[in-house]
Amino acid sequence: MMDIYLCLRRSFRMVGDIRMKTISNFRWLLATFVLLYLMNQVNSQKKGAHDLKCITNNLQLWDCSWKASSGTGHGTIYEVCIENRSHSCYRSEKTNIKIPALSPGNHEIIINSLHDFGSFKSKFILNEKDISLIPDTPEVLSLSADFSTSTLYLKWNDKGSVFPRHSNVIWEIKILRKESMELVKLKTHNTTLNGKDTVHHWSWASDLPLECATHYVGIRCYIDSLHFSGRKEWSDWSPVKNISWTPDSQTEVFPQDKVILVGSDITFCCVSKEKVVSAQIGQTDCPLIHLDGENVAIRIHNISVSASSGTNVVFSTQDSILGTVIFVGYPPDIPQKLNCETRDLKEIICSWNPGRPTALMGPRGTSYTLFESFSGKYVRSKRVEVPTNESYQLFFQMLPSQEIYNFTLNARNLLGQSESTILVNITEKVYLHTPTSFKVKDINATAVILSWRLSGSFAKINLLCQIEISKTNSVQELRNVTIKGVENSGYLTAVGKLNPYTMYTFRIRCSTETFWKWSKWSNEKQHLTTEAIPSKGPDTWREWSSDGKNLIIYWKPLPMNEANGKILSYNVSCSSDEETQSLSEIPDPQHKAEIEVDRNDYIISVVAKNSVGSSPPSKIASMEIPNDDLKTEHAVGKGKGILLRWYHNPNVSCDYVIKWCNSSQSKPCLMDWKKVPSNSTEALIESDQFRPGVRYHFFLYGCRNQGYQLLRYIIGYIEELAPLVAPNFTVEDTSADSILVKWEDIPVEELRGFLRGYLFYFEKGERDTSKMRGLESGRSDVKVKNITDTSQKTLRIADLQGKTSYHLVLRAYTDGGMGPEKSMFVVTKENSVGLIIAILIPVAVAVIVGVVTSILCYRKREWIKETFYPDIPNPENCKALQFQKSVCEGSSALKTLEMNPCTPNNVEVLETRSTVPKIEDTEIISPVAERPEDSSDAEPENHVVVSYCPPIIEEEIPNPVADEAVGTSQVIYIDIQSMYQPQAKPEEEQENDPVGGAGYKPQLHLPISSTVEDIAAGGDVDETAGYRPQANVNTWNLVSPDSPRSTDSNSEVVSFGSPCSINSRQFLIPPKDEDSPKSNGGGWSFTNFFQNKPND
Amino acid sequence: MSYLLATPLCLLTLLLPPLSLAAPISPAEPISQAYSLALYMQKNTSTLLQIYLQYQGSPFSDPGFSAPELQLLSLPPAAISFKTWHALDDRERLGRAQGAFLALTQHLQLVGDDQSDLNPGSPILLAQLGAARLRAQGLLGNMAAIMTALGLPIPPEEDTLGLVPFGASAFERKCRGYVVTREYGHWTDRVVRDLALLKAKYPA
Repeated sequence: MMDIYLCLRRSFRMVGDIRMKTISNFRWLLATFVLLYLMNQVNSQKKGAHDLKCITNNLQLWDCSWKASSGTGHGTIYEVCIENRSHSCYRSEKTNIKIPALSPGNHEIIINSLHDFGSFKSKFILNEKDISLIPDTPEVLSLSADFSTSTLYLKWNDKGSVFPRHSNVIWEIKILRKESMELVKLKTHNTTLNGKDTVHHWSWASDLPLECATHYVGIRCYIDSLHFSGRKEWSDWSPVKNISWTPDSQTEVFPQDKVILVGSDITFCCVSKEKVVSAQIGQTDCPLIHLDGENVAIRIHNISVSASSGTNVVFSTQDSILGTVIFVGYPPDIPQKLNCETRDLKEIICSWNPGRPTALMGPRGTSYTLFESFSGKYVRSKRVEVPTNESYQLFFQMLPSQEIYNFTLNARNLLGQSESTILVNITEKVYLHTPTSFKVKDINATAVILSWRLSGSFAKINLLCQIEISKTNSVQELRNVTIKGVENSGYLTAVGKLNPYTMYTFRIRCSTETFWKWSKWSNEKQHLTTEAIPSKGPDTWREWSSDGKNLIIYWKPLPMNEANGKILSYNVSCSSDEETQSLSEIPDPQHKAEIEVDRNDYIISVVAKNSVGSSPPSKIASMEIPNDDLKTEHAVGKGKGILLRWYHNPNVSCDYVIKWCNSSQSKPCLMDWKKVPSNSTEALIESDQFRPGVRYHFFLYGCRNQGYQLLRYIIGYIEELAPLVAPNFTVEDTSADSILVKWEDIPVEELRGFLRGYLFYFEKGERDTSKMRGLESGRSDVKVKNITDTSQKTLRIADLQGKTSYHLVLRAYTDGGMGPEKSMFVVTKENSVGLIIAILIPVAVAVIVGVVTSILCYRKREWIKETFYPDIPNPENCKALQFQKSVCEGSSALKTLEMNPCTPNNVEVLETRSTVPKIEDTEIISPVAERPEDSSDAEPENHVVVSYCPPIIEEEIPNPVADEAVGTSQVIYIDIQSMYQPQAKPEEEQENDPVGGAGYKPQLHLPISSTVEDIAAGGDVDETAGYRPQANVNTWNLVSPDSPRSTDSNSEVVSFGSPCSINSRQFLIPPKDEDSPKSNGGGWSFTNFFQNKPND
Repeated sequence: MSYLLATPLCLLTLLLPPLSLAAPISPAEPISQAYSLALYMQKNTSTLLQIYLQYQGSPFSDPGFSAPELQLLSLPPAAISFKTWHALDDRERLGRAQGAFLALTQHLQLVGDDQSDLNPGSPILLAQLGAARLRAQGLLGNMAAIMTALGLPIPPEEDTLGLVPFGASAFERKCRGYVVTREYGHWTDRVVRDLALLKAKYPA
């Protein structure tokens, strides 16, 4: 705009000049004017300066440049004038000029181009906003590298002196790798200018070890000046500098022996002249990343923990291997369970648990530093990491007059550090050493001195020690003592209240008064306390010898706690008013002395002696005060002992003595006694020698001034048992109905308890019968007598049967149980009256029978005669023939009957059913189906008279109706032979054949068990006695009586015919008919009579 | 493990150098003693190598690991052509073995130190290395006795290691240990053959 304005003004001036010359030709002039104007326009552009552009790189000088017009060549001088308050012009031969920075706001700049042929003025308006700030290209002062850490260090100068202070500068750094200069990183770095030239440092850690590839670095900057309102631009990139590695050793794999955290990413590279074939970490093959030349790299992600000797990374070439070791682990865990204590108040022991293992060992292991903050002192552990997870410890020397310590334990390895702290008052954390040199010394019989050593400086504190005192067969006793602490020295304490002459075992442990921990127990020390005089005299008793002349003095050995030492001897003395006898130095195992005396009122005194001295005497009066009112009592013990009770006796002044013998036999008596105070009324007598079932005798004496009186005599058992033997018994007297038994006492040794009575059992029985067993089992035929009167020694058993064997058993019993039994068999005497009666009655019966028979025979002589000696019939007088002649005249068929001399029995065959076909002569209907009613109801036409053997056994039919309904069609035969069978084996028959009564039995055994059978013919088959066919019964019974076949079978049955011979008369007389001989005067014989008799 | 305990006692007797240089003694006895010890060592060399490799991690611990290309300049290789070996005279034969075992004892000490850094928690490995070193020393004493008996001069002890091994990387130390334990086995095999030859040459 400025430019055009200037040109326009110039044109108008030229136009004025021309107008003065030529006015007339206005139109041409106008056209020329336009043309000139345009040309001038073009010329003015070309000839003056244009495109003014200003930049700055330090905000102090503006570097303005412009373009010269085309016509201007060498020799053009530009005059640049800045039209502001102070008119200042600069001349330059170039098209640029450096001017001091202008104040903000518009400034008019006139550039006057001075040529040989004239000058052109160009006018510009310049503002700071039109200025670009482009800093100078920075320069890298130095680039260095730490190959061990793969770090690049960059140094450059910011040249800040030329810029106003506090300008922010952004630096951009590029890192290029390999010869192909691949950009691997572009980083920015901010600084602030401080008005001075400042050298900046920057570092960068490369993932790839720097040895394996050349790295290049370049830098540029951007100044963000707050006061500059113009455009700001990045500087140009500096020339790159590079870092490369020159091999100086054999190692060609990088990094070497590096320690890194588990899970990190890492790149390994190999500098090789030869081609690398493969690479592996541990056992894993890795893909190769090719770098310059034959160099390769591998990248490992999320690396896992190493073994102790590290993880090997191996690159293989054709004929060699190259490798490195990487140690992958963890930073140290926070020390756990940190605890500080002291054992001697000289040195503090802090122990801790390292926690998670770091997997780093040896020189890479964790080092620990224990720092005490109050004193500022510290101790450091040697760098030895034990692979096991056991406790670590450090020793810290205690400082005088410091009790409270604030410890910080720092754990550090190459990967990091951690710490834990503890604040302790060390006097409260004393864990003392085990007491040593533990010794025991006597003071007297009941006190000792214990001495021990304890290393440590305890002068300022009190110690608490615990003494364990134990003696055999006794509970341990713990006594606590507080002792003033001393410096590294021995300690003493007295222990009293001990028993003399006792073996004690002592041991000791200590702590401080502010208890933290007990030390370990010291060694045990056994010590026997010294002897003291016996504290009491021995327990004494006396007995008079059997002849009353000698006094036997007994005493018991003193128990350990009263003897207070080893008893060496006893002194015994007997003194009366007049004389004193003494026996001295009776050696210890003897506890008995005998003194011959002539009086009975002595005072006996016994003294026990040990090495220290004599016991106080124990005294006893010798006199026995008689007692007339003495009773024997019984006592039974409970458990191990016997409790004896008595009533209080006011006369007893000193004590009661219970004396007994421990032995079961009366001789020798192992005498023992027990003294109880006079106010007690009972005593529990216990002894290991008491045995159950043994009788013991207890004598209770009461002590009075002048002597002892026997108050009670008690027989006792510790436990009652059953008698060991049965009483011996004999039969004193036997009569026909009674036995007198006498028995003896059981000896005391075998009784084993207090006899409570006898049990007497008796029963009928032979010696060898089996009924002997189980006499007492409550059988009704065993009679029991309980004799509770133990003084009874005889027993009469009455109401017995004469001439009978009896089994007698006697046994004694106590509260402990029944004794064994003793048995005996006794036969009572014969009863003479009974015998006479037994003879007379049969005789009388025989006479009566004879008389009655005679009378009967006389009365029935006619019948007898007719029966046994019938008149031989005269054929001519035969009524039958007469009858035949008269009735059956002309019938030649009946003549055969004439040949039969007998009178046949008549058998009625009852026909109860109309459907039954005509009955022929050969049919026999069983009489079992008959009943008088039936026969009376039956029609006379159906009666058929047949020759028949009558049944011998009477059969009762309980269910005639069923029989009629079902089985009427059956004809039942009673075989003659069947009469013998029941006689042969009657019981067997009954058992085997419940169905059958007497009567015919088939030769074949036919089991009748079919259910069908039972249903169809249960009634009659079961009940009916009579004939059974030899054929299969089942087929018979299956047939219904209503069916046509039954008719057939019926006819078949009928056709069997009679098994009985009509000629055998003697069997055809039924026994029933005895009562009515008239009704059937059939055959009758004695044989029949006698055969039937046993059944009656 | 019991032989490990018994070994030091045996070695104490074997280590005692024969002091009576004046009286020439028969070489058969020291040869026989050295031969017995060498045979005993031979039984344990493969165990030492196996245990060593087992503690170095893969690929050393991989089954069948072998890197014959790895050598130590400070350690003379045991490999020798049979013809050359057979043609050696007593002095050269014993001198080479002596030199090798001298180097081996020093190297075994070095490997032991390396391993107490790398595997401080592996007492078995450290004990094996220590035992191998003691045996090598015992063998050196025996060989000195043989040379004395044969009237040969005993070569002076040299520091074969020099300044070389310090500052080696862990991988180099592992490889070095491998070469040492391997060569220890090879040299033991060779010295067994050497002594067998001498035994035949100087019968009792």
